Amino acid sequence: MRFILIFTTALILSGCYQSESSLKDNLIYCPESKALSFNPQISHDISSLDATTHQLYNRLVKRDPTTQNYIPDLATGWLLSEDKLSYTFFLRENVNFHQTEYFTPTRHFKADDVIFSLQRMLDQDHSFHSVNRGMDYYFFNHPFTHLIRNIVKIDDYTIKFILKKPDITLLDSLAAHYSVILSQEYSEQLIARGTPEKIDFYPIGTGPYKFKSTNDAGITHYINHAKFWGGKVSVNNLIFDVTENNTKRYAKLLTGECDIIANPAPSQLKQMSEKPNILLSSEPTANILLWAFNSNKIPFTEKKIRQAFSQAVDQKNLLEAVFYQSATATNTLLNHQSWAYNRRSTDIQYKPQEALRTLQEMGYDFNSTITLLTPVKNSLFNHSFHKIAELIQANLLKIGVKSDILFLTQTELEKRLISGKYDTYLTSVNGKINDPDSIFRPLLSCDSTVLEGNSSQWCSKEVQSLLNLTLLESNFTTRIKNYYKLQEIIQEERIYFPIAHALRMDAFKTNISGFLVDPFTGINFQNIKKTEAH
Amino acid sequence: MLNYLFRRLNLLLITALILSIIAFIISLWSNQERPAQHINLFMLYLDYMGNILQGQWGISLINQKSHMINGLIAFSSTLELCLVALLTSVIIGIPLGIFAGIYRDGILDYTIMSIALIGLALPAFWLAIMLIMLPITFDLGLPIDGNISPIYEIPMITGFQLIDSLLASDLYDLAAFIDRLTHLILPAVVLSFFLTSEIIRLTRYSISQVMKSNYIKAANTKGLTVIQIVFRHVLKNALPPIIPQLRLQLNTIISIAMTVEIVFDAQGSGVWLLTSIRGGDYLALSAAVILISGFILLSSIVIDILQMVISPTTRKMLYADK
Repeated sequence: MRFILIFTTALILSGCYQSESSLKDNLIYCPESKALSFNPQISHDISSLDATTHQLYNRLVKRDPTTQNYIPDLATGWLLSEDKLSYTFFLRENVNFHQTEYFTPTRHFKADDVIFSLQRMLDQDHSFHSVNRGMDYYFFNHPFTHLIRNIVKIDDYTIKFILKKPDITLLDSLAAHYSVILSQEYSEQLIARGTPEKIDFYPIGTGPYKFKSTNDAGITHYINHAKFWGGKVSVNNLIFDVTENNTKRYAKLLTGECDIIANPAPSQLKQMSEKPNILLSSEPTANILLWAFNSNKIPFTEKKIRQAFSQAVDQKNLLEAVFYQSATATNTLLNHQSWAYNRRSTDIQYKPQEALRTLQEMGYDFNSTITLLTPVKNSLFNHSFHKIAELIQANLLKIGVKSDILFLTQTELEKRLISGKYDTYLTSVNGKINDPDSIFRPLLSCDSTVLEGNSSQWCSKEVQSLLNLTLLESNFTTRIKNYYKLQEIIQEERIYFPIAHALRMDAFKTNISGFLVDPFTGINFQNIKKTEAH
Repeated sequence: MLNYLFRRLNLLLITALILSIIAFIISLWSNQERPAQHINLFMLYLDYMGNILQGQWGISLINQKSHMINGLIAFSSTLELCLVALLTSVIIGIPLGIFAGIYRDGILDYTIMSIALIGLALPAFWLAIMLIMLPITFDLGLPIDGNISPIYEIPMITGFQLIDSLLASDLYDLAAFIDRLTHLILPAVVLSFFLTSEIIRLTRYSISQVMKSNYIKAANTKGLTVIQIVFRHVLKNALPPIIPQLRLQLNTIISIAMTVEIVFDAQGSGVWLLTSIRGGDYLALSAAVILISGFILLSSIVIDILQMVISPTTRKMLYADK
């Protein structure tokens, strides 16, 4: 009786209710977590990039999503000098900054803004260098410091980058998420008002959307930047509605409370793909899930032991059990889409018997227990470290190797990693820019600390010199060759056991078109269009 | 009458004192800088109470706003949910209870009571999770998350979003109000499941007690129809005893509402407390004790007085005391 009553009332009321997705002017995107700040210079997590890079800001250059070539953004063109030591950039004119409740620009974008934004990362004496503890982040000034000697303003619309030595990664760095252009005029106003920290939380940029408001519940409003230089966007109100639970995100997509959701649960992908009104987008990322062997600790000092351990783990089974369709198996550290990816690298095969034989030959002590460190908190691209660690443990036990899984929180984990008292470590690493060096250097360089990524505590002269040489090499073919060689060495040495490249997945309704995700800089809503819901 | 009020207020003061001590202990415990040993606890308590009375409840670590403001906003949202649920339960529960009471031990009674029992037995959070699937399975288009769609930016005036969205009608016409109402449907259904069962049970008992009395038998012999008897004699005598019973349910309702809010992610006191605890902002707990239990205390007194006004029997007891 009450069921019927409730049901009919609900039916009648739902008739009056206009589902959000039927309003063409609003787009609701439901990510998994909140942006840490509204400036990708200081926040490098995917949620912050999604919320900022393409929406609020522009960079000097960007990458064409289909051809992967560099195309102009705020720069109209650039010239490389004969000696390859300086780049001259010509800037776009009549570009407007956002006009908001907290800032009204009086001038157009010019060279001073570029210098201000980039020097913030480079120059330790810059008034904004340490604002919001930007310098605490490894990536804050890392990519540029080794690269640029100076940035010189030639005139208001011409700017020159002088490099320390020839380096072809400059364009990559300028197209990266952290090279966004902020307003210098706004920064001066903030200093005058005595609130410089607002620069990263009340953002002003030149992008297609401007920041309106954000609240504790994780809802952020953007509105269309009417004077955007790149043409008008078709959706006026862009709303980010953070929904942590992935089942709830899926349910909200179905009820029309979200138009696009990020990271659907791998276990729901099959069901989603069967729904006629839902589309799935998957984009390869530079993210890699890997199992690091501590090369400073016995028995993992031995190459053969490391190889045997990698043969003992059933990678295919891991992928099927944890990722379903949301990741691709891999045998190298590099993303398969990368230009330096060596297609001929040898596969790791699952051969437990061979692994057992090698361990016996090497005199491995089967009574000992190895440790497997893993973070408690799952990363955005890895939904279950827990499950993976347990599957590895089970695989090892099959050949008689005992292991202990240690789930540690971030602080505990860091302590343990620095102390070096661990055998293996299950982690994931995310490449920040589209250059292989950004993956290889943190993982393999002698200069890179364990917290920066070198969790195998690896240091070899050969690898180090190869890394350094390739970075300075301007001949593209030689670079490729060098990276091929590097991959062969890693493959042979088995410093890491690469498990999978997770895909960046998003799901959206069929009435959404123009959806674009860049694996390095996040989601882009500029060209998105929304039609009436079906 | 005054005498009665005084007695009630006395009780209120004692309970309020105990509650404030609990809140004080929580705030002491959550305070990172422990007070030095030699400082008198009593003086600290007086300080604390002074601050509370002046509206200085401390600043939230999470959003740098006053705990009092955060708490009031969150609690008003919870209250709104409770009131909507109460209203629907009364509309559904009382007629059903009357039927069950009049036709006691009949088929109708058994059917209604079995449904009511199921309602009592179902855990609210489970029902909430099940109801989230309702709009998906039946393609109802009902929202399952939040207080109101993020599209509508309603300026806060009263804290009750139903009223605020009506006040903002120049911005969105009635769309925001309807949106808020639809967001309330599912949480209110879960909450009213429990409430309706309770109301049916109470009404049925009360009605069946009245139905047994001699004046009803007399009315029967007078040849009045059932409807006439119910409206003339039964309701007037059967409904007032239900009110104090409902008062006892008040804290249960609020705590269930908080659970339901967490499932539906409605920004009420449940979510407020949960995020505060997760964020290590334990001072919110002491604010919640003052706010929520203070509300329950005050409202129970208001209900008492209300009952005295409408019910002749309680009034009679009062005068007899004199």
